[in-house]
Amino acid sequence: MPVLLSTNPQTSFPVADHYPSDDVLMARVQANDLDQLAVLFDRYHRPIFNYLLRRTNNDRETAEDLTQTVFERLLKYRTSYQPSQQFRAWIYQLARNAHADHWQRQQQLRTTDVLDSEQRGQLGASAFAAQDAAEHSQHLYEALALLPDAQRDILVLNRIQGFSYEEIGEQLACSAGAARVKAHRALQALRAIFFAS
Amino acid sequence: MPDRPSPYDCFTVADLLVDYADQLLPPQQTERVAAHLAQCPACREEVVQLRAVAQRLEAVEPAAPAPELRTHFLQLLEQEKAALAATAAAPEARVRPMWPQAATRWALRIAAGVALLLTGIGLGQWNRSADSSAAATAPAAGPTRHALQLASSLSGEGAQRLSASDRIQLVSSAAAAVDTTKAADPVVQVLINTLNFDPNANVRLAAAGALYRLRADPRVGEAFTQSLSIQTDPNVQILLIELLVNMRERRATTQLEQLARKPDALPIVRQQAEYGLGTLL
Repeated sequence: MPVLLSTNPQTSFPVADHYPSDDVLMARVQANDLDQLAVLFDRYHRPIFNYLLRRTNNDRETAEDLTQTVFERLLKYRTSYQPSQQFRAWIYQLARNAHADHWQRQQQLRTTDVLDSEQRGQLGASAFAAQDAAEHSQHLYEALALLPDAQRDILVLNRIQGFSYEEIGEQLACSAGAARVKAHRALQALRAIFFAS
Repeated sequence: MPDRPSPYDCFTVADLLVDYADQLLPPQQTERVAAHLAQCPACREEVVQLRAVAQRLEAVEPAAPAPELRTHFLQLLEQEKAALAATAAAPEARVRPMWPQAATRWALRIAAGVALLLTGIGLGQWNRSADSSAAATAPAAGPTRHALQLASSLSGEGAQRLSASDRIQLVSSAAAAVDTTKAADPVVQVLINTLNFDPNANVRLAAAGALYRLRADPRVGEAFTQSLSIQTDPNVQILLIELLVNMRERRATTQLEQLARKPDALPIVRQQAEYGLGTLL
């Protein structure tokens, strides 16, 4: 559940504007009223954690580390936030970048492509080994893991986190129509993997 | 009309199947796809599969991150605030050369380096002798002594001497050092006092997070329950509710009911209290 609060930085007592927008809060953070960042943390740390959790194939520890990185970068680079841009799109972009950095580090750690394909083979084999309903969610995650990263990203945003095509378009710097087409292709790709015999 | 649709017929509706499965098509296109599906088992199967996979994605439950994430973030925030305050308090720096000759500056640097080295050697020797004498005379540091040191740092004048960032750091490391296999570690009581009485809300939040890690201790659930009725900061109130719900602490229902009806509590806090009640009852 997102937390929507505002507190007076001097007293920590609630003040009249109970629900200032993210952009208003971020403007205050840019003016060095850093306590407002605690409110933004309360609003966003769970969605960002869940986004990163699904992007990292449910690796909780990595998702928590990356969420920490997102808020560290937010604090460090707060002056780079442009008020013309939506805060939500900006913080998800920070999360996307943190994940991309992590992914690159992981790629460098891999010794050969053979290892990678072996792992994918194992995932695929285990994903389709049984059709027990109780294992379906695990199969879903394994099928998601087999998608290209960009398709996994858009499905997590659209189907798991409930962003509209307009909102995804803002985040990915494309039109709502283009976001819709990408999301449809991603769902079709997931279906093909999930139901492959 | 042929019994089976041609591949071209399937191609013409392929881009519409996801929206059809989501029931987002306008009526005219819905009719067109439905007419095709009536004749095409392959596309019908595709729609069934699309709905199944979409439903599974939408049924994914959100997960809760570990409370330590909040503690680390608050610590970082306090450090940044302290750095900001230090920058604001410092007078504007002006570079004023004292010795204009470069040779003099180098001589001074070398002299300072030698002095630093000698001081290091001297301190090292002194420290070794001090350690050996302390080991011979001092009693072993037990959990009670550790708790007393912690209590003096986190309360009264000790708390005034330390910054909020330092107190958050202290709270986190204290919880990590608690021996959870031993009953009634006195550090738990110090952390409970910090949760209830530290003047900084972020330190109180960190204490709540630290105590949550020690939730196997029966005092923690009791302390969270009692603390809920004395906390006034909405962030602390919300975190306590969240932790009590995670711990399935049914003793908290009375406090949650009071908070849900408290007229001066923020609407979001009352809402969170109601959510907590709904989950615990």
